[in-house]
Amino acid sequence: MKNVVEVKKLTKEYKELKAVNDLSFEVKEGEILGLLGPNGSGKSTTINCILSLLNFSEGSIKIFGQEMEPDAYKLKEKIGVVFQDVAVFEELTVIENIDYFCGLYIQDKGLRKRYVEDAIQLVGLEEFKKFYPKQLSGGLLRRLNIACGVAHKPKLIILDEPTVAVDPQSRNNILDGIKTLRDQGTTIIYTTHYMEEVEILCDRVIILDRGQIIASGTIDELKKLAKLEEKVTVEVMELDSKYIKEIGEFKNVEDVTYHEGILLITYKKGKNNLVELMDYLKNAKIQYNKIFSERPTLNDVFLELTGKELRD
Amino acid sequence: MTVFKTFLKVLKSCKGTIILYSAILIFFAVFNTTSGDNTTNFVAEKPDVFIINQGEREGITKNLIQYFEENANIIDIKNEENAIRDALFYRDINYIIYIPENFREDFLDHKNPTIEVKSTGDYMASLADMMLERYLKLANIYHETFASEEEIIENLNKTLSEKLEVEVTSKLDTDHLTQIANYYNFANYSLLAGCVFVICMVLFSFGRDVVRKRTIISSMNYKKYNRKLLLSNGLFAVSLWAFYVLVSFFLFGSSLFTIHTIFYLINSLIFTFCALSIAFLIGNLVHNREAINGIVNVVALGSSFLCGAFVPTEYLPDFVLKIAHVLPSYWYINTNERLKTMEVFNFENLKPIFLNMGVVILFILLFVVMMNFISGKMRKTNS
Ligand SMILES: Nc1ncnc2c1ncn2[C@@H]1O[C@H](COP(=O)(O)OP(=O)(O)OP(=O)(O)O)[C@@H](O)[C@H]1O
Ligand SMILES: [Mg+2]
Repeated sequence: MKNVVEVKKLTKEYKELKAVNDLSFEVKEGEILGLLGPNGSGKSTTINCILSLLNFSEGSIKIFGQEMEPDAYKLKEKIGVVFQDVAVFEELTVIENIDYFCGLYIQDKGLRKRYVEDAIQLVGLEEFKKFYPKQLSGGLLRRLNIACGVAHKPKLIILDEPTVAVDPQSRNNILDGIKTLRDQGTTIIYTTHYMEEVEILCDRVIILDRGQIIASGTIDELKKLAKLEEKVTVEVMELDSKYIKEIGEFKNVEDVTYHEGILLITYKKGKNNLVELMDYLKNAKIQYNKIFSERPTLNDVFLELTGKELRD
Repeated sequence: MTVFKTFLKVLKSCKGTIILYSAILIFFAVFNTTSGDNTTNFVAEKPDVFIINQGEREGITKNLIQYFEENANIIDIKNEENAIRDALFYRDINYIIYIPENFREDFLDHKNPTIEVKSTGDYMASLADMMLERYLKLANIYHETFASEEEIIENLNKTLSEKLEVEVTSKLDTDHLTQIANYYNFANYSLLAGCVFVICMVLFSFGRDVVRKRTIISSMNYKKYNRKLLLSNGLFAVSLWAFYVLVSFFLFGSSLFTIHTIFYLINSLIFTFCALSIAFLIGNLVHNREAINGIVNVVALGSSFLCGAFVPTEYLPDFVLKIAHVLPSYWYINTNERLKTMEVFNFENLKPIFLNMGVVILFILLFVVMMNFISGKMRKTNS
């Protein structure tokens, strides 16, 4: 598959701070790439560099095999961006706003009208066409912001934390919209610090911390990288420390913790881990309310790789 | 939606404020016209002049003094430096004429003697100034044609008295000219306030960081986009000017059919462009919607007060006028004031007006350079 975006050895410095440090990655055609990282990890900086909104000290960036330059207008036609901050005209209605930003790309009036309608439908703002931004709730405003960025049907869409501070309803709507775009063949770069979103949405993930890639790959690959396969949680009222020690000696077990009635066991790899554990608990006559096994989340991966939580 | 259409939408959201500024102007103008009849009567008012004659009161010297005795109030004060300074300061006198000892001889010898004067610089003083200038000019002209002093004086007096009659008949127009000048002076406020407010709002709406970012990354040519925005703003400023001109025609009607009007229009148009450049400069500096109103008031009201848009300049203290020199409004208003009393349009008389216009144009250039410097600097700190 073709590379839509190629970033090589990108470094961006603000005085002493290296906001982005020797970053290399590519985005393949038709995929959703997640850029995951905590606040200040350099996500927005990376995106602004890709769009050549920022000068960077070192590295090279190619989009559709071409270098991004201020007057590469043909190239710019193929790109749509949704910035982290809402950027719309207070004086224009929803539909006028989308029409204006779409008009920066598309001159043909008839075509634009269709595109604007499509964008409104994509984010589900049909009922709010004539509303002014200050009449919209935060979630709806975010949706408008997205519609303004993608109305011209670009081949590559870059979204910078489009769901920050958004209610669940709008968030689902936004995520559905992004999936729709992907299904239409659009390549997407998606920035967030919510790992759930990445798990639902992204084909591939890059985890950033302090401007550096600490891990990248598909979600499965990442989980393997962290050497975590399975996570078993057991609700137990009381547990002698003797048992904890014994469970810790099972094969495949990576770690055991017991805290406020929750027994948490992480496994490296292997089969029948859950069955083995249940047998053990039965033989030892330990009473438990609930037992369940789950695949570890990206948060666990992040925790494993950096020793800190992804969310603060 | 095109840039221009969106510009109009933003403009529409400012319409309340524009109407307010215009209403203030029109209200002022109407108030000024209806109360204008009982204000100034130029024939009745004569400048207070103090003449120090160091020579003999004979011949042309005598005639010159007589001319002032007839057309001005001759004030007698002590010929001491302190007394004179005080009298000038308290406006007991507007004008002092020092006739040198050998004025008469030098004049008859074609030596072009100079008469020194001191003046308060106000309107009355400029009247006296005009009288003296006219007298000397005519005297020189007749000296070319007539040899004897008697003939010169005879012809001089004839012409001067004729001239005076003309002045009497043109009295009504001077009233109107004052009103028109006042209107255009006041337009200083409305033009400045209107331009600065609207353009700041527009630049704020189009220029907020993220909207600008969106524009930069779009496939719209950024230079073309900027040109469109600049053009839209320019069009607005010129329309505002045209509207105020239209209003002035509506208010003053046929009294505007004089040469003065052409200069009022040119002057105010140049000033409109100056207001435009000020607005762009401020719009580039201010990125806060709430601050815009305050800044409009400081800039428009402040410079209007300092430069005499509301209060005639002769009532303003000297130090205020000195400060006002650094503001373009001063030069704009100064031109209006000069036009108000202009009788003859020749190069000599128009020179200070062209100079004033030149100064305003220099201000425009200065603001444009400053704006480029600032926006260039801001672009650098952004990256
Ligand atoms: N203009 C700037 N000047 C100096 N430092 C900056 C500037 N912009 C960003 N930074 C710093 O660069 C680092 C990366 O910032 P960036 O905005 O890229 O983070 P982010 O991953 O987008 O974070 P968030 O999740 O909060 O949006 C941060 O430490 C930030 O403080
Ligand atoms: Mg960010």
